[in-house]
Amino acid sequence: MVENARSINIAASILLAIGILYIVGPLYLTLSTASQSYEYMLRNGLAWVPGTELFANMGKVIHDTRIPVQMLNSMIVAFSNALATCALSFLSAYAIVYFRIRWAGVAFALILATIMLPLDIRVITTYQVASNIFSPLNAVLDFTDLNSLIEMVFGSTVHLELSVLDTRFGLVAPLVAHGTGTFLFRQFFLTLPKDLFKAARMDGAGPIRFLIDILLPLARTSFASLFVLTFLSGWTQYLWPLVGASTPDMQTAVVGLARLVPDADGQVPDFPMIMAGAVLVSLVPLTMIALLQRFLVQGLVLSEK
Amino acid sequence: MTAIDTAIRAAAAEIALIGVTKSYDAKNTIIPPIDVTLRPGEFTVVLGPSGCGKSTLLQMIAGLERVSAGRIVIGGREVQDLEPKHRGCAMVFQNYALYPHMTVAENMAYSLKVSGVSKAERAERVGTVAKMLGLADYLTRKPSQLSGGQRQRVAIGRAIIREPGVLLFDEPLSNLDAQLRHDMRVELAELHRRIGATSVFVTHDQVEAMTLADRILILNKGHIEQFDTPKAIYHNPASVFVAKFIGSPPMNILQVEGDGSVLRLADGQVVANYSGIGKFQLGIRPEDIAVNEGGSIKTEIRYREDLGSHEILETKIAEQNLRIAMPFGVEIDTTQTLSLSFPQARLHLFDGETGRAIANAFGDAHSASVKEYQ
Repeated sequence: MVENARSINIAASILLAIGILYIVGPLYLTLSTASQSYEYMLRNGLAWVPGTELFANMGKVIHDTRIPVQMLNSMIVAFSNALATCALSFLSAYAIVYFRIRWAGVAFALILATIMLPLDIRVITTYQVASNIFSPLNAVLDFTDLNSLIEMVFGSTVHLELSVLDTRFGLVAPLVAHGTGTFLFRQFFLTLPKDLFKAARMDGAGPIRFLIDILLPLARTSFASLFVLTFLSGWTQYLWPLVGASTPDMQTAVVGLARLVPDADGQVPDFPMIMAGAVLVSLVPLTMIALLQRFLVQGLVLSEK
Repeated sequence: MTAIDTAIRAAAAEIALIGVTKSYDAKNTIIPPIDVTLRPGEFTVVLGPSGCGKSTLLQMIAGLERVSAGRIVIGGREVQDLEPKHRGCAMVFQNYALYPHMTVAENMAYSLKVSGVSKAERAERVGTVAKMLGLADYLTRKPSQLSGGQRQRVAIGRAIIREPGVLLFDEPLSNLDAQLRHDMRVELAELHRRIGATSVFVTHDQVEAMTLADRILILNKGHIEQFDTPKAIYHNPASVFVAKFIGSPPMNILQVEGDGSVLRLADGQVVANYSGIGKFQLGIRPEDIAVNEGGSIKTEIRYREDLGSHEILETKIAEQNLRIAMPFGVEIDTTQTLSLSFPQARLHLFDGETGRAIANAFGDAHSASVKEYQ
């Protein structure tokens, strides 16, 4: 096989080059389009050559569109989504691993099942619940006939209504409960010495103290990696922000970008400006990855140094 | 006694278990009711095969497992419903269970920190304990930067820093290699002498039990088989289980039948005089068998193991295995039939059904010989 190494190397290099072209090509086109003027694009079509209008285009995005407000929305949504997911996953994994719960296995299986039911599948029901978060309770009251009982006693039925559509809470809440984080923390907790909890109890530390003093510092890297991953997925969410928020000031940047394409037929969209917006919107997750990429790797290999 | 010793020495507490029971459900009883009292300052080793309930027993004393029934009294206080921190116990775990993100000093001081001891006093007590355990140079290291023996010492330091009246050890030496295990055994014995806390040490290693214990508690499926000094257990095992568990190689147990005057093997050979009738189990330690001294019991060697200091001969007698330990320097012709005799004073007789020892089966000569060991 040794004599074949050279030809294998060449083949591998060619494959790699094709792969790079496939990934970097669109990126290049985005950047070069973003740096040309609208008029240049109208005259020449696809902009294969970089121009000088990048900052002018970005200025247009900042001044003429709602993208800055929407980026702030994205920031809030992605940040609170990441924080809430981390906290919820950490606590649920803690309960499952460290306490003797009767149906712990079943509970964990149900939590894992949420991975198979992403928001995109249950978007209609999620919308129904978000438009009135008491609708499940109302349904239970109606279904169990409790309502007729209440009507007999109090004279009228119970029907509660509260819509969280078009609020930041409504944008975040459906994204938070997700099994991946629980799974990540559970696997991490299982790699820790199993007598740690007992040792802490012998030292006089109760469950809360153990959580804060021992578990939290140990899970630092898992926390960071889950935070980065959920922040990125929260930032790039498209479907739920699209239906969950209807006013432009409440929408996220990714949805806002799509809305920059004019609805009217026949008009050529201002692609240089849209591309400049796309570059602008990508800057946040890009910085995040650049700064925190070591946590991404560390957290996924689940090892504590 | 040095100043360090008095600084760490705590008031040793008596531990009394009264009808202590553990069961997970109606069918699954781990420990049937146990009654036992451990004297203040005593080093008790709980010995038994894996799954006999010895760790569960220890965790019930510690407060990490609830008792299903019964009472635990430590130092005159009923503690079975108290949290571990209120029982005055400290524990050393098998896998050390050190906090990986804390330094040696922080690990040892954590219990003091939780109970609100001032920073200055914490530092002082950590210094004392570290000096005692030879850890003074490692206080700023993390557990991952320490060797196995050092980690074990940190775990011990973490336990003794609170000056507990009771020290609990859950197989603390089984993760160490043979040489280190021996060294730590010596250190533990030394430490116990200096600290004086009532200690309970769980292990499945009979050597640790024999060398460390004031008294050994032998557990079998949750039952106490025997609770006595190492010597008494070795020379007067209370049952076949104990006899087979203590000693290396273990005691030979032969199935014999009594006809009212002698005990016979299945092939008819007479092995001892005894007045009982029926089935019995006869025990004799490999080193107690006399070879080629005009004995009447015949056997052939199947295999020999030369261990340097002594030799183990594997033989078969009436279809039952019999091991003989020969002292160094005795020449044996392996092709010849051996003639053995079982010195009456060294024989142990057990009931054929229950396996319990029959006391004074061979007269007073036997107990006299035990007395001289004690």
